[in-house]
Amino acid sequence: MMKIFSFLILFLIGFSSYAQLDSVQHLNVVNINSIVLKKHSKGYKILKLSDSLIVNNTESFSSLLRYNTPIYIKEYGSGGTSTASFRGTSASNTAVVWNGININSINNGQTGFNSLNVSLFDNIDIRSGGGSIEFGSGAVGGTIHLNNDLHFGKYLKNELVASIGSFDTYHNLYKFSFGSKKTAVKFGFSYNESENDYKWLGYDLKNENGAYHNTDFSFNIAQKLSNFTKISFHSSKYTGSREFSGELPNPSAANEKYKDLSFQNLIDVNYNKNATSQRLKLAYLTQEYQYFANKNASSYSYGKSKRYLINYDFSYKITSNSSIESFTEYESTFGETDQMLEKNRRQFSQSFIFNQQVNTLGSFNAKLRKDFNSDYTMPVVFALGAELNTTKNTFVRVNGSRNYRVPSYNDLYWPALGNEDLIPESSYQAEIGVGYKTKNLQVDAGGFFIDTKDKIVWTPGGDPDRPGVWVPINFDKVLNKGLELTVIYKINLNKHYFNLNANYSYTISKDKITKELLPYIPKHLFNSNLGYSFKKINIFYQQLYTGKVFTTTDNSENYTVPAFSIGNLGGSYSLLKTTNSTLDLGLKINNLFNKAYQVLPGRPMPNRNINFNINYKF
Amino acid sequence: MKISKLLFSTLLLSVLFISCDDDNDDEKTEGAYDNGILISGEGGSTGSVYYVSNDFSITESLIYKNVNNEDLGKYLQSIAFDDDNAYLIVDNQNTITVVDRYTFEKIGTITTGLKKPRYMAIVGDKGYVTNWAEGSWGADVDDDYIAVVDLNTFEVTSTISLSIGVERIIANNGKLYVSHKGGNDTNNIISVIDISTEAITEITVNDNPDEIFFDNSGDLIVLCEGKTTYDPTTWAITEQTLASITTINTSTNTVASKLEFPSGTQPSLLDIDASGNLYYSVYNNIYKVEENATVLPTSVYFQTTAGSHYGLAIKDNNLYVVDAGDFASEGDLLIYDLTTQSKIQSFKAPIAASKIYFN
Repeated sequence: MMKIFSFLILFLIGFSSYAQLDSVQHLNVVNINSIVLKKHSKGYKILKLSDSLIVNNTESFSSLLRYNTPIYIKEYGSGGTSTASFRGTSASNTAVVWNGININSINNGQTGFNSLNVSLFDNIDIRSGGGSIEFGSGAVGGTIHLNNDLHFGKYLKNELVASIGSFDTYHNLYKFSFGSKKTAVKFGFSYNESENDYKWLGYDLKNENGAYHNTDFSFNIAQKLSNFTKISFHSSKYTGSREFSGELPNPSAANEKYKDLSFQNLIDVNYNKNATSQRLKLAYLTQEYQYFANKNASSYSYGKSKRYLINYDFSYKITSNSSIESFTEYESTFGETDQMLEKNRRQFSQSFIFNQQVNTLGSFNAKLRKDFNSDYTMPVVFALGAELNTTKNTFVRVNGSRNYRVPSYNDLYWPALGNEDLIPESSYQAEIGVGYKTKNLQVDAGGFFIDTKDKIVWTPGGDPDRPGVWVPINFDKVLNKGLELTVIYKINLNKHYFNLNANYSYTISKDKITKELLPYIPKHLFNSNLGYSFKKINIFYQQLYTGKVFTTTDNSENYTVPAFSIGNLGGSYSLLKTTNSTLDLGLKINNLFNKAYQVLPGRPMPNRNINFNINYKF
Repeated sequence: MKISKLLFSTLLLSVLFISCDDDNDDEKTEGAYDNGILISGEGGSTGSVYYVSNDFSITESLIYKNVNNEDLGKYLQSIAFDDDNAYLIVDNQNTITVVDRYTFEKIGTITTGLKKPRYMAIVGDKGYVTNWAEGSWGADVDDDYIAVVDLNTFEVTSTISLSIGVERIIANNGKLYVSHKGGNDTNNIISVIDISTEAITEITVNDNPDEIFFDNSGDLIVLCEGKTTYDPTTWAITEQTLASITTINTSTNTVASKLEFPSGTQPSLLDIDASGNLYYSVYNNIYKVEENATVLPTSVYFQTTAGSHYGLAIKDNNLYVVDAGDFASEGDLLIYDLTTQSKIQSFKAPIAASKIYFN
């Protein structure tokens, strides 16, 4: 114990050097996604995960979201398949947006969060609620924005991170960035692997067949063509392979393997002059997975898709306080699986956004979108949001939107079961929130409701001619209600920096037909990050509380996953800290109190484990 | 008169006495779960077993968990019994959990040598477990087998390879009978295995045979569900083979007779009553086939209140069905009187409730 303690004392961060960069970036920033998102989200809550928070949870994207956001993460054992439930909605109602492009899978409509690498993103925005019209309309719960920042200016930076942890876990990362007056380049490479064979607390068993490894490349370049024109190119390629770990009572029965690959390319041209700005985006994205029911066999099932997307935005400043924008998008998507021949879906959409600032009183957005889809007739959707500054430090925010989600390819075309008569799920939602904001303290409390109809469910009673056969139908009506509270506090007491980020959410997701709660949605979710830094030392503590979940649609007390509460402790120490370079040594103890817990039944999560890392920036 | 009256009274008394004795025998319990109905469910998050006493006065959910404070895992496919033990077969976990059949206290587990175990037949101190193995997903499609388990040590001691898609297994007269429902694939045979020589005889029946049992004359009754084939590009149905109730003469190992269903009718559950009448189910309809009938019934015997049936069993004059509902909530056990065709009772059943056993 003493050893661990003295270890901890030794650790430090490179915290302050990064904080200073932020203000510089604003002037010369190329990737304006974060700024645009904020501008178009009046009345909505956006939680920003800066790189200082991100580095505390590099072990997986699932744990990053679990410890830092109000999103509930369903993970099939640590490192396994992982999906999100945002505000009690289903996995396909959370959109993942990469540099402004929605990257959810066309086959199942979702993103698997263990197929995303944390380390190569510079910052992540979490936007709660629907109405994110620029990124499609299916994100009823919210959106997760992954951003690679680029900025002009003279610099040359390298970052090297190597970490080694329990269960033969290795994370390696190299980032290179270069900037000049007219050019900005960022390159990143990361490789992760783990045996992931943690002991199952309370059993004489361990996590078998849970190993994973993945490689991620990211390349971003921007060129200033003139004072008005910038062009940037973003590319990212992920390849991963992981086994699906076993379950109680016999983890040795597990034998599955999953490989996936995603490749994303985006050209983004920006033209800004006087009152007008124009933006052209061209994207090409591919995804592929291979599922091996027996990892030792050569046969597998697969799914793959490719998407072509062209997007043109035009924005005109009517007055200094108001602007109108037009988004025109055409998208062509090809998807196929081993069970399903290639299908092509084409969609043209047109959106308008109106922004108005009313002196110092507040601001609002109004958005409209109409899609013309090769498979569907789509309703017009809208989103309204307003923020009212009630006093100097307080504000009231309101928003409302209509959203719909188109059925996934699996819903429509699954062999013999898919239902081509499905219509899009549609929902109305509204939210009201209050906030308090000073230099040190930010508080946001909001209450929301989402009323969804025609929700697609797979049920054995779906087709009256074939009872007992699982088919998808537009059936459910669901009402989600809840509260979200976020508190961010920072203070500098004589060079002792303290910071706290805390989220609490209360979610009721009720099936309006059965009057029961939807399974696998906890009522209570709480997480917090408490950080302290002084000179070369940085220490942080993370706490997570996840409430009990029902696993059955009748809310039977016989089948629940109990609530759990987990703490992680970490810290770092700067061995070297000059203007040009920092060398940090870091340590993190996950599940500090060595508690046995399960996110999903039958799948114990890791016991206490340690991760040691070296972070060198030069 | 008097004497005869006395005699009669004595007779009556003795009858009462004997029947009382009988009653006492019945009520003598070996454990909490004696004299009752066990309902097993494949499970959502875990398989489980529920108990209902024969007089319907006692019910208990999740009896394995209550006794042993752990879950069975998924999916609890079936339970086999010998005099003392129950063998809970959990397919995806390659596990058989052995419990005392009356107290449900865990005695041991079998976790090696099994690969997608389905059903077990018991002969003496040996258990014979059908295993799908990799089935159609693996490198070796045709790798199904019977695992021979030593029930004293709970170890798999040897295996017997069989054609693809093994499902139910029952034993009679030194032989094992296995239906080949097809697993992830399809098949149309019954394998007969001589236990002492391990010689295998295959009998061709209609596609996808599932339930098998012996009738009162010792013939093997087989329910073949038929198979549906889809066009690989449009996924329209291209072919539906006929389902049938097939009778196999076990001395010649040949098909003695069969009752074929019209195309498109795919019955999934079948059981037999003490007098040899058969009852099968299509969705939530129950049909009755009189013993030795040469044609299938044209009308429904009765309809239950279930959405659809996922399990069926007959004991004495009662018919038991389980309705698994949406497979994501507790199911229902419905008990019908076969004479009146009316519902006697209903009870909560496990998630994806599929089998009914009488303990």
